[in-house]
Amino acid sequence: MRRIFQIDGEETECWLSHDGSHFMLNTDDGAVPCRLDPTGVPGGHVLRARGRVQDVRLAVGPDATFVHMNGRTYAIGRVDPAERLAGSDGAAADDRIVAPMPGVVVSVNARPGDHVKEGQPLLVIESMKLETSLTALRDGVVAEIPFAAGDSFGLKATLAQLAPEED
Amino acid sequence: MTISKLLVANRGEIAARVLRTARARGLATAVLRHTSEQEGPAHLIADEVVTIEGPTPVAAYLDIPQIVEAAKRIGADAVHPGYGFLSENAGFVAALDKAGVTFVGPTSEVIDLMGDKIRARAFVEERGFPVAPSAIEDDDPATFVERSHAVGYPLLIKPSAGGGGKGMRVVREDSALETEIETARREGERYFGDGRLFVERYIERPRHIEVQVMGDGQGNVVHFWERECSIQRRFQKIIEETPSPALSPQQRLDICETAAGIARAVNYRGAGTVEFIYAQDGAFYFLEMNTRIQVEHPVTEMVTGFDLVAEQLRVAAGEGLSAAQADIPQIGHSIELRICAEDATEDFRPAIGDILLLDEPQGEGVRVDSGILDGGKVTTDFDPMLSKLIVHGPDRAGAIARARQAVQNYVVLGVTTNTGYLDAILAHPDFASGDVSTGFLAEQADALTAPGEDVTDLLMAVAALSDERLVRDVMQIPQMHRKMGGWRN
Repeated sequence: MRRIFQIDGEETECWLSHDGSHFMLNTDDGAVPCRLDPTGVPGGHVLRARGRVQDVRLAVGPDATFVHMNGRTYAIGRVDPAERLAGSDGAAADDRIVAPMPGVVVSVNARPGDHVKEGQPLLVIESMKLETSLTALRDGVVAEIPFAAGDSFGLKATLAQLAPEED
Repeated sequence: MTISKLLVANRGEIAARVLRTARARGLATAVLRHTSEQEGPAHLIADEVVTIEGPTPVAAYLDIPQIVEAAKRIGADAVHPGYGFLSENAGFVAALDKAGVTFVGPTSEVIDLMGDKIRARAFVEERGFPVAPSAIEDDDPATFVERSHAVGYPLLIKPSAGGGGKGMRVVREDSALETEIETARREGERYFGDGRLFVERYIERPRHIEVQVMGDGQGNVVHFWERECSIQRRFQKIIEETPSPALSPQQRLDICETAAGIARAVNYRGAGTVEFIYAQDGAFYFLEMNTRIQVEHPVTEMVTGFDLVAEQLRVAAGEGLSAAQADIPQIGHSIELRICAEDATEDFRPAIGDILLLDEPQGEGVRVDSGILDGGKVTTDFDPMLSKLIVHGPDRAGAIARARQAVQNYVVLGVTTNTGYLDAILAHPDFASGDVSTGFLAEQADALTAPGEDVTDLLMAVAALSDERLVRDVMQIPQMHRKMGGWRN
């Protein structure tokens, strides 16, 4: 069974199998037997892999698995292969304004159906006490602005979407 | 004026911390909560939670009429403002005075004076305390260049209307002064619509050292020694400690007595902090006075054994200070780490998310002042500081070792925090030797965010083996094989 993970901003693939007695993690570097057993504490597990016996704490979130190991915390994004495909051949990069950081919408200056020009302000956001005006990346028609003034949004949320360009 | 019921007009870790002391002193307690706000530790400690409303949570915490009205409605006879929000707002103090509610802090006049940086500086200078040499153009525009020369080099030109480092220029020699003044003026006009300037002596590689003071408003002022807060990112402190590794015993006495003298000059009431810029040559200059309890006050409590919030409440109740100067020791070493929801590898971008698992360190010499609960949500509504980890050790090396162990055991899963970054600072040889300045984090940015050991394969194993669906699917394959008669891929 294949899985794609995102670790430190880089996507990496692996394949989990079971040889009848061990789980095997298969990567480009080869196959490693591995095993994860829960301990008594919340989220506590013992990982056995690559000859190491490692205490870890883990929590499985909706899109990422969070791991505390050896005094450090890691977020492992779980990439849905189907979604990644849709993303790669779907909307063009300049159709969408993606949140550069988490924040709050201060005002919305355009509505779905509006014809906008490149550079025209679509909405104003506030992040880290700084107001930023987000502008259309090309001429086009607004398809969707999913947030209203006062709404909070997360990193990489789609803040505005233009209708696809007709060729 | 005894106090029987205290409203804490704040939130997060400081509200919880103030409430604990208030309850220990036998007071009835109440705290605010915005309609959209998550439950936090403070809401579990307070006897009463008062709901406040506003277009944004921050606006509600700044709404003076609403908060004064809430204090009166619940019968609170005193309000503790914490830090931030209304803690240094003279209008809030005046409104409480008018309503007959005691403000736990200084008078509105002192807050006003110290809140105006130019007036405060002039006040301190007139009384003979050290300020960095400077020249203000507005004092006499015709002689500004001449007076700037007299300040001495290197000097820093700043727009009077400025902030955030815009339009600031360092001048190292005489010949460049006039050109740089003109450039700074144009930048000031462009950024702030105001070309007026002032200059001050530029301190190379400065340290930030501050002194905790406490006054009873009756002329008695004591200091609780210094704190060093040079470890800053974006002009905000993230690690503080006491004692400062930079000071000799004599320098320590000088700077602490200077701070107490400044507080005495305003007949200070309550807890305050006098901040100084400390130059590499040992000279120090008044920077500003903060007229509230500070975020980093716990390190002072760890080495002196005093509860500074209890002292604030005593003074507000007219009971005076509990100690004379000679009774205030400085024992061992304490370090505070600010645990923030932010990504240190992405220019400290604030992070949000659900706290899926929280396990805070504990043990001898370890204190956590936390503003979060397991299962809580971190949003962008408030400051990214989640909690403070404070340690105490017999000496600086012992405190660093304890801080490293504690921060490595600080488990927050579900939202990115700076625990790994804080540990990297503690592990840096320049931090260990105490050779730092306020520019340390910027100078060492690459070293402090360098990736650690590559554990990608271990992380993939954890993520794969904790994926219940994946594990179930993998385990079904052999059964399928049996049914299909030994098929192999």
